[in-house]
Amino acid sequence: MKLLITGVSHKTAPVAVRELLAFRDDTLPAALADLKAREGVAEAVILSTCNRVEITVTTDDASDPEAIVVSFLTERKLLRREAIEPHLYRHQGREAIHHLFRVASSLDSMVVGEPQILGQLKSAYAAAKNCGAVCGWLDGLLTRAFSVAKRVRSDTGIGQMAVSISFAAVELSRKIFGSLANRTVMIVGAGKMSELAARHLRSSGASHVFVTNRTHERAVEMAKLFQGTPVEYARFVSLLPEVDIVITSSGAPHYILHKDEMQRVIAARRNKPMFLIDIAVPRNIEPSVNQIDNVFLYDIDDLQEVVNANLRERMKEAQHAEALVVEEVDRMMARLKVAEVTPTIVGLQEQLEQIRAAEIEKVRRRFGPFSPEQEQAIEILTRGIINKIAHGPISELRNHAGQPEGAHVVAAIRKAFHLQE
Amino acid sequence: MAEMSVIWLRVAAALYSLGLLHAILTLVRRREQLFRVAMGAFVLGSVFHFVSIIEEGLVNNRCPITNIYETLSMCAFLIVVVYMFVQWRYKMNSLSVFIFPLVFVMVLVSTLGNPVSAWPSRVVRDAWLTVHIVLVLLGIAALLFATVASVIYLFQERELKTKKPRAFYYRLPALGTLDDLISKSMAIGFVLMTLAVVAGSTWAFIELRTGWISQPKIAISFFTWGIYLALVFLRTTAGWRGRKAAIMTVTVLGFSALTWVVHARLGNLLLKQ
Repeated sequence: MKLLITGVSHKTAPVAVRELLAFRDDTLPAALADLKAREGVAEAVILSTCNRVEITVTTDDASDPEAIVVSFLTERKLLRREAIEPHLYRHQGREAIHHLFRVASSLDSMVVGEPQILGQLKSAYAAAKNCGAVCGWLDGLLTRAFSVAKRVRSDTGIGQMAVSISFAAVELSRKIFGSLANRTVMIVGAGKMSELAARHLRSSGASHVFVTNRTHERAVEMAKLFQGTPVEYARFVSLLPEVDIVITSSGAPHYILHKDEMQRVIAARRNKPMFLIDIAVPRNIEPSVNQIDNVFLYDIDDLQEVVNANLRERMKEAQHAEALVVEEVDRMMARLKVAEVTPTIVGLQEQLEQIRAAEIEKVRRRFGPFSPEQEQAIEILTRGIINKIAHGPISELRNHAGQPEGAHVVAAIRKAFHLQE
Repeated sequence: MAEMSVIWLRVAAALYSLGLLHAILTLVRRREQLFRVAMGAFVLGSVFHFVSIIEEGLVNNRCPITNIYETLSMCAFLIVVVYMFVQWRYKMNSLSVFIFPLVFVMVLVSTLGNPVSAWPSRVVRDAWLTVHIVLVLLGIAALLFATVASVIYLFQERELKTKKPRAFYYRLPALGTLDDLISKSMAIGFVLMTLAVVAGSTWAFIELRTGWISQPKIAISFFTWGIYLALVFLRTTAGWRGRKAAIMTVTVLGFSALTWVVHARLGNLLLKQ
């Protein structure tokens, strides 16, 4: 059996090529049926996302999986071979397993650690399974890939750090308050960015959102989005002591929150921490507010700095994840090696056991019946002999499993012991 | 002190102990559960307290501020009067967390002026002392927790203030989580220490008879407990966090260690070397 993964990704092909090869969800079943029907193909999966189009196939030993997949793509997409060949990557055997585990673990993604790829791979698997394109060995491999991805996510911090400005705001809120349950948010200025950040905060557990804007109608409109409360712009400062997180994105050309005001607010809050997110340009909050104890002020550049640090941290975590993936590939290969020689080992043991049983029966007919003690002695003696005989060939099979000469050793032993195919 | 005066003072201490219970519940459960009951008992206790002071003055025919027990009782009574006025005028319930335990301990110590005969048995004496020591050690353990969490809080706060996430930012817990841990361990530590002070002072009173109060090691214990009380009060009412709270927590831990050294006579061992 041969395993091949081939395709294009953001690393090997521009979007102009990727879009030519992409498969829409509704065309996937027909494409899978076509691929599976090609001679030599045992199983197939097609993964098509905005960043990659990847085909995984298993074929019999006599077939050339590369030629099959390239002809499938050229015929299906009506493309010339030369147009796609330079962009295709190809992984076979161990390399293919390694690649699949890396893709599932989001180590090959454009944003390393992003969680969507695992869901996309699961959808691709479900589509293939539904139309019968996955029904055996590849099923086990993909299921293993999902477990590896899960392990990578839980054992490394690869997916924990926020890599967008709005999620960085949520992450910082968690770093300040621990849980966001029962935290209140105030949005000052109804911009798209603040709306996004507030949406993330709300879905992360923030209990209530106040919205204020110079144009009160806009505040009312936006408050409806979060089942929040619109607040008159003139009185929003008086409400601040009740608020834990403030997001400002007003178009005011000057500061709307000053240090002395915030000192009064924090005193009224009895020093309970406050997180101020100033995503307005020009800024809405006087920068020296950050000097007040228990007030944490982040502007758009500070949030970007957190995102950059998180990306660097993700890359560090990715190194741990890579080692983990290699370990899992080794484990998988070891399992495959054993699986490769297991039928021969079982066949050999059964063959020897049959010979043993037949010989005992002959002896019993000629010299029997035997006393229980004699039966036991014969049992121990004959079993010892066949175990000793089997030991050499079984060791050879295990030692050569997965090696290039492994197939020859299997063939030689099967021939020597007259094991049936 | 006069016999009857001490009896009235003991009744007052018993009533004030409800205030201590209220403070403990407020700290541990963060809800003012018993305030009305405790306040009623506090007012009633102040009446008995007043009677005790008058009785002491009448029996001795002088103002009862001539020894440390009388002075403590008078001082506690004045605190009670001022607090009742403040409560009546400004409704500052949160002040009770500080005042109730303080008044209770002061009055308790005031009742320990007259020596009692002796321990009923040696077993009771040793068990009493063991309870005191175990409470102190548990209290110090809780305080140590609070101190470590406070130091970690400072590191995390610094990371968040400087806005340049480094290793600490990713590896240390959130400020809110640490704050919760500090509050809980500090409250539990304070409750244990208060009970240890009550157990320890009554033990010393029976064991050492008169003059136990003037021992430096007892004075330093009360001083340490006083700082701890102030810390707990500032945290619960003024919301002290971060740097200030961490420094004060370390200070209380330092004094607790000093008190331990003095009690365990470790000083002698250190000086010998």
